[in-house]
Amino acid sequence: MSPFFPKSQRRLLSAALFASLLPALPLTAHAADLASSEACQALQAKYPQFKGKTLVNALNPHTPGYEALDPKDPSKYIGLDIDLAESLGSCLGFKVTYKPVAFAALLPTLQSGQADLVISDIYATKERAKAADFITYSKVFDGVLVAKGNPKNITGINLSLCGTTAAENTGFVEVPLIQNLEPECKAAGKPAPQLQLYDNNASCIQAILAGRADTYINDVNTVDQAVKAYPDKLSKATAVTLPYHIGIGVSKKNPELRDAIVLALTEIQKTGLQLELMKKWGLDQGAIEAPTIISSDE
Amino acid sequence: MDLFFHYLTMDYLLKGIFLTLEITVIGLVGGFAIGIVLAAMLLSRHRWISVVARTYTVIFRGTPLILQMVFVYDALPHMGIMLSALLAGGVALALNEAPFIAEILRSGIRGVDRGQSAAGQALGMSSFVLMRRIIAPQAIRTMIPAFGNEGVNALKNSSLASFISVQELTLRSTQLASSTFDFFSVFFASGLLYLMLTGGVSAIQLFAERALDLDRPRDKGKILKYLLPWRKDPEEALPSKPATAEGAALSELLVTPTREDRIARLAELAKGPIAVEIQDLTKSYGERQIFGDLNLQVHTGEIVALLGPSGSGKSTLLRCINRLETWNSGDVFIGGHRIGYSSGGLVLSPSEVARQRVEVGVGMLFQHFNLFAHLTAEENIAGPLRWVHGWSQEAAAQRAQELLDRVGLGDRGDTLPRHLSGGQQQRVAIARAIAPGAKVLLLDEPTSALDPEMVGEVLDVIRRLAIEEKLTMIISTHQLRFAEEVADRVIFLTDGNIVEDGPAYEVLSQPRNPLTARFIRVMSSGQTSALAL
Repeated sequence: MSPFFPKSQRRLLSAALFASLLPALPLTAHAADLASSEACQALQAKYPQFKGKTLVNALNPHTPGYEALDPKDPSKYIGLDIDLAESLGSCLGFKVTYKPVAFAALLPTLQSGQADLVISDIYATKERAKAADFITYSKVFDGVLVAKGNPKNITGINLSLCGTTAAENTGFVEVPLIQNLEPECKAAGKPAPQLQLYDNNASCIQAILAGRADTYINDVNTVDQAVKAYPDKLSKATAVTLPYHIGIGVSKKNPELRDAIVLALTEIQKTGLQLELMKKWGLDQGAIEAPTIISSDE
Repeated sequence: MDLFFHYLTMDYLLKGIFLTLEITVIGLVGGFAIGIVLAAMLLSRHRWISVVARTYTVIFRGTPLILQMVFVYDALPHMGIMLSALLAGGVALALNEAPFIAEILRSGIRGVDRGQSAAGQALGMSSFVLMRRIIAPQAIRTMIPAFGNEGVNALKNSSLASFISVQELTLRSTQLASSTFDFFSVFFASGLLYLMLTGGVSAIQLFAERALDLDRPRDKGKILKYLLPWRKDPEEALPSKPATAEGAALSELLVTPTREDRIARLAELAKGPIAVEIQDLTKSYGERQIFGDLNLQVHTGEIVALLGPSGSGKSTLLRCINRLETWNSGDVFIGGHRIGYSSGGLVLSPSEVARQRVEVGVGMLFQHFNLFAHLTAEENIAGPLRWVHGWSQEAAAQRAQELLDRVGLGDRGDTLPRHLSGGQQQRVAIARAIAPGAKVLLLDEPTSALDPEMVGEVLDVIRRLAIEEKLTMIISTHQLRFAEEVADRVIFLTDGNIVEDGPAYEVLSQPRNPLTARFIRVMSSGQTSALAL
């Protein structure tokens, strides 16, 4: 083993292999139940246009837990969002294929018609709702990823970021939040925070490992996964609650799909399936919330 | 490094290679197709066509490929064109590669010696034959390294398709790295895979270069037969048999005619039909006038020496006669045909003019020989007979051998021009020009690019031609004694005007025009040594 490949990675790889094996069976059973449930049968009758179709889900598969390649079988994607998409598919009678794109390309891909859905750990903000309609399915908790021991003493999106460098992905909601700190930092006589923009989580994590950036603020689950992979080099400084929801993006031209998903998601939550899936992926249980539509006509 | 090897042999990544190759192939094949059209447009005689092509080149060479990919993938659907991700990536790559390939093609084509194009046109080759037989085979050789570069570039550039969701090697690598947190092993493995692919392109390039090397002893391959149809080992320029080796000795033929003989011959020729007629020829380059209302008649069988200082328009006049040059007004007739125009008076295209040269039987010899550099001596003669005149393989080869024997190069048929001396090359060029049975031969300073010791062998061949073939010849030359011996008539050209026109024996010994007199004086004093034949 060369020094480039720490042992932790090997451990992680095998752990991930086992993790992905275990919950496979009960989920399949659930999916079958779901499809044959009365509510889903009714929905399929109400929205026959989706039945037997194959919908394309655009995703940015760099967020283990939500969506990433299955390290055991890299031809598949796994994660909460994948299970959720499949469950929606079973309930409404459609199949799902996945189209991996850069994070910033998720909504353009939807708008150009190259995808029907965006289920990719994307925060449903008012700004983004101008490009797509969102159906929310979870609250947002962010984590602050820092180098081991938090040498810059970063405590969240606040004055502790002044003069530090944050790595973020292009299009992330954290980007404007960090940029907005500039006047506060100036007022406090401190330099403004610097931003480095990347395309995916892997690049942001690499930026901290390489010492190019001091922090990466993103979904708490992503941060936890990174700390698990590099326990000797990274730590989670703190968790931040952001006033956002994670949502499923649907084209504004397709309100029927949006409404069908609201109803199917409600059913999935009612049966307890979403809770089960979030447990399976180790995501925060308290984060579930009833589906709401976030839309903007601008 | 076990994880590294695990990723290196992982089916998932290896499958990515196929998509990488697919995009690259679509990009290169499409880029070639568009690039050929673009290159043709860039080289077009019509200005607006080349402007359109130039605009395309500026736009697609000047914007980043990643924007072009995103455009094809995300913007075209808004216009109703929905391409699959793979196709969108391939199309964007093709659109991006096309201008680069077009420029390679253009520079390769322009890099082929223009003299060879002129020789091909003078031999009656249509634009297509010229491109296929002369320009393309030579241009391809010079373009291979640049194509190798483009191949490698396209392969690496295909990785940008990862931005539009094509599951090629780069996208697979980044996703795999994200899900395993095993960045370095994954990226080293995919880097090595890319290196193997680009290494393959380099190997193809080197193989192609070697296979097309004209100086390489070779086994005959089928594909290469088009590019190298003849070909044996190269030889050094060996001294060859003198031109007079066969047939009657030159001295027997060249009984210096008496003044009376010459007067009689001129009178006889004057009764014959007119072979070449120039009427009121006017030509200018921009402001500068080359010819103003120039008139000239040459009778069949007449040998005319065109004398005059450099820049007097001798070469241009010869090139007008077979319409390698165009002119502003006036007419040129060869054997009664109006050169450059159809019988209905329409301007002929370059290919039609080539056809016309064949019909009227006008050949040309160039100062710099202009042999086709990639063809052997024999093929230089036989090739045009097959491609232009439709001769059979055997008949053309036989005719070529016969003519090579006559110019004393019977044993050098398999030699490439670059392995022949200047004098030998010009003798091959003479054989090539008369091979199809030319009636009128235009000779543009046939010896002025030769070393002094080779002038004699070429002039000997031309002398024999004059005597044996009974061709109508117009020779621009500085060789006064040669003109005196061979020419029936001497024309003296100054600043595009014929200032003296008369029997050779008269003009050269008793010039009437002071300019002619001075020129003859200067030339004869400077040439005595060089003219020791």
